[in-house]
Amino acid sequence: MKRAFIAALGVLLVALALYPITATGYGIRFMLQLFMWVALAQSWNLISGLTGYVSFGHVAFFGTGAYATGILVVTHGWHWMPASLMGGVAGAILALIIGYPCLRLKGPYFAISMLGLNEVMRVLVSYFEGLTGGGSGLSLPALHASVQIYYATGLAAVAVTATAFLIITSRFGLRLMTIREDEVAAEAMGIDTARYKLYAFLLSAFVPGVVGGLQARDQGYIEPMAVFPLLTTITMIVMALFGGKGTVWGPVLGAVTLFVFQELVWARFLYLHQVLFGAIIIVVVLLMPRGILGILQQRYQLPRTI
Amino acid sequence: MGVIITPAMVGQVVISGLLAGALYSMVALGLALIFGVMRVINVAHGTILMLGAYTTFWWFQLLGINPYLSLLVSMPLMFLLGAFLQRSMVHRVVDAPELSSLLLTFGISIALVNVTQYAFSSDVRSVEFLTGSFLVGPLALSKSRLISFAFAVGLTLFAFWFLQKTKLGKAIRATSQSREVAMVCGVNVQRIHLYAFGMASALAAAGGSLVAVIVAIQPEMGQVYTFKSFLVIVLGGAGNYPGALLGGMLLGLVEQLSSLFLTTQVSEAVAYVLLVLVLLLRPTGLFGGRST
Amino acid sequence: MRTAFRSVTGLATALVVLAGSWTPASAQAPIKIGASLSLTGTYAALGQNQHRGYQLCAKHVNEKGGVLGRKIEFVLYDDQSQPATGVRLYEKLITQDKVDLVMGPYSSAITEAVANVNEKYKMPMVAPMASTTSIFKKGRKFIFMVQSAAEVYLEGLVEMAAKRGLKTIAIINEDTLFPKATVQGTIELAKKNGLQVVFVEAYPKGNPDFSAILTKIRAANPDVLGAATYFDDAVAITRQMKELNVNPKMYGVTVGGDLPTFYQLLGKNAEFVYGATQWEVELPYPGAKEFLQAYTMEFPGRDLSYHSAGGYGGCQVLVEAIKRAGSLDGEKIREAVLKLDINTVYGGFKVDEGGFQISHKMVTFQWQEGKKVIVWPDELAAGKALFPTPPWTRR
Repeated sequence: MKRAFIAALGVLLVALALYPITATGYGIRFMLQLFMWVALAQSWNLISGLTGYVSFGHVAFFGTGAYATGILVVTHGWHWMPASLMGGVAGAILALIIGYPCLRLKGPYFAISMLGLNEVMRVLVSYFEGLTGGGSGLSLPALHASVQIYYATGLAAVAVTATAFLIITSRFGLRLMTIREDEVAAEAMGIDTARYKLYAFLLSAFVPGVVGGLQARDQGYIEPMAVFPLLTTITMIVMALFGGKGTVWGPVLGAVTLFVFQELVWARFLYLHQVLFGAIIIVVVLLMPRGILGILQQRYQLPRTI
Repeated sequence: MGVIITPAMVGQVVISGLLAGALYSMVALGLALIFGVMRVINVAHGTILMLGAYTTFWWFQLLGINPYLSLLVSMPLMFLLGAFLQRSMVHRVVDAPELSSLLLTFGISIALVNVTQYAFSSDVRSVEFLTGSFLVGPLALSKSRLISFAFAVGLTLFAFWFLQKTKLGKAIRATSQSREVAMVCGVNVQRIHLYAFGMASALAAAGGSLVAVIVAIQPEMGQVYTFKSFLVIVLGGAGNYPGALLGGMLLGLVEQLSSLFLTTQVSEAVAYVLLVLVLLLRPTGLFGGRST
Repeated sequence: MRTAFRSVTGLATALVVLAGSWTPASAQAPIKIGASLSLTGTYAALGQNQHRGYQLCAKHVNEKGGVLGRKIEFVLYDDQSQPATGVRLYEKLITQDKVDLVMGPYSSAITEAVANVNEKYKMPMVAPMASTTSIFKKGRKFIFMVQSAAEVYLEGLVEMAAKRGLKTIAIINEDTLFPKATVQGTIELAKKNGLQVVFVEAYPKGNPDFSAILTKIRAANPDVLGAATYFDDAVAITRQMKELNVNPKMYGVTVGGDLPTFYQLLGKNAEFVYGATQWEVELPYPGAKEFLQAYTMEFPGRDLSYHSAGGYGGCQVLVEAIKRAGSLDGEKIREAVLKLDINTVYGGFKVDEGGFQISHKMVTFQWQEGKKVIVWPDELAAGKALFPTPPWTRR
């Protein structure tokens, strides 16, 4: 069973690697954005799925990475690849600065503080217009690199999913989940909860930063409202939830299902697709909070490493 | 390219800040009620405010009568909507981890906003009723804001009286403090949740009706009020009802003063930085609140 | 019973499959023009106006027999006012839906983002709703501007002020791409016309309370106040100016001041306000009156603004270019557009090598007795400006 799964996975990865040869421009853009969502949902999973601390402003790392990359490319002439990695570093640094104090807050307060963080980043970016272009946005020099970005984003998605797998199958992961289940007990057992939470938080902020940078390069133009929207945070959360947070493949499943569904089905309903999205959120929260894999895990006693 | 700031100017914006602050306080009180009683973070709060504003708009558009009278319609109407939402969906995420209530109310919000957009179109509306101001020396007191200030203060005081003096109000406060003890004392907690959500929605609707005369009405107008209500709750302390009052006034003042002494662009940032600072340094709120 | 059921479902399935695979076997397949519009989200109101402009143009063109013997058909998606979605949708339109041509989306910000896409595929794009100069000065070859640039929106206000001997000007703006460009341009124009800029401040998008900024302006006491706005802020600022008793001798807004709803919402308080508009129905452009009539008939009660006319005019430009090029080839159409010097319902259209608009004129109007009276430039003016604007207390 396990071998068949790994073989199928291998075939899938090869297919994805070969896809750009026959794909249309739209196909590449579509898949690249799909990879982005997988990466985002999975990153959110690393902190919120595993520790239970709801990062309600996770797109802040995405936006920060986008701007860090944009500034490096435009003002300092960096190539987008190292610039995107620096975007990830920028995200991680932000997580370090803000995580250290914020992770001490309890549930709802942490969520609200993350929301506040996102807004703070957005207005800070608007304020320092000499650096970021402010409300006018930042334009990168024209470059048609969609195929390379496709591979880079795909790599990011694979990397973060692999990270999720490694964490969940490790003691580190177990400790994180203990924190999720009962933080007081975890402390009592001698787990340095502050440190572990911070590690998870740093890891969860790196990939969104990278992916933000890659998106900045791909779009060629970013502005504060486009890279710090609450809707993006919500979407990545719903994707992770739908597939099953706290699992390895849940966020992947959720991202693929919802993104494909959105593009194929409800983009047709010009005016009502947001209502449908709202309805889906309600359904997921009320009827399937554990997500598909969560439900399957329980029903069929599937291993934790799903 | 700056201007010299005179005391009269400071006085002017302080007044503007207080007038706006009273409104924030009233709306935030609603949010505080929901969080205090049910531990639910209601992201749809601003959306209810928006619906209240639209109610006033249509009232004025179709009937042409004094829009302030529409409070008599918007408040009960949204009370019912709030009660309905609580009964049908929100009651299931009471006591659930905050993620559930955040997402659920967000889903409700997005659905309502888009239905409104579909039904009423995105065209910007407004209620043109009372413009101009009373000029008192160098200070200008906007008529419409004064009236909404008066109503906001009145409604908030009424809400407080209600919470302090009536049986239902006391039951709500009791449930806020400790649900178990309240149940032991014979309080029907389910019913309390219903009333609290309804009351909170009525307060939000009142906020909407009052701003309908002041700002532009459009389906997405609610989000900023939701955020501001969050800010007020954090400043005042979650579940701390008097704290919400003071927090609202404080927010109004901070916004206006930073807009005056710095720039309007920055005043937005100041409010959020304040949020994060308060959360980090005094999570129970500046005016002391529940410590959970 | 079971067999009957089976055959009915079998028949139904066959019909569905047949319907799905049927393609109209016409040699006159319509020319597909793709675009993404902001039908929901922040720009929804104006995106929908533009949408109606596109739709009406297609209808009229087809009624006259289409172009190159074929009808035109718009393939439209909603970009939800998001640049990233717009980019993806244009890729879809070009590479998957395989449209023949594209037209621009709403707003400078989204146009800037999607301009890279049509440039990549060398597909010409007439972009009627982008007025930010920088988009058209990046060496792009396949994008064409229809509007007058953001930088000159307040040109009329500044010139009229200078002519009347006014000395100081304050400028406020929403902190987004287009208004910021307007401010830059206005500052240049002020310098050129001898006006001193005494106060400049930006406010965040969606800001509802202008007390502080207006209090500062009142203290600075400028002769002229120029506000680079969109709609909500234009209304809010005007109202709050009255409340705070701010009385410049001339006060003008940019986007939003021209909408009928502006006057409906403000009533008498909108009097004396100057506005800049890319288009007014009174302007003597060919077909403008017919456009108005047809629009009101086709979309009763719906908003009409220069966005509708711009959408319509932009589509006219493209159709004319197709006609002159005699083909749908990107390069040929590009050459045809570069040679155009025509008047559409929207006004003059002529672009320079980079696609930047050089013939379209902005007009400045003033609300007088509930009507927009064009007061600048002189050659298009229908009346004189009521100057100076009387203080609020004396109206």
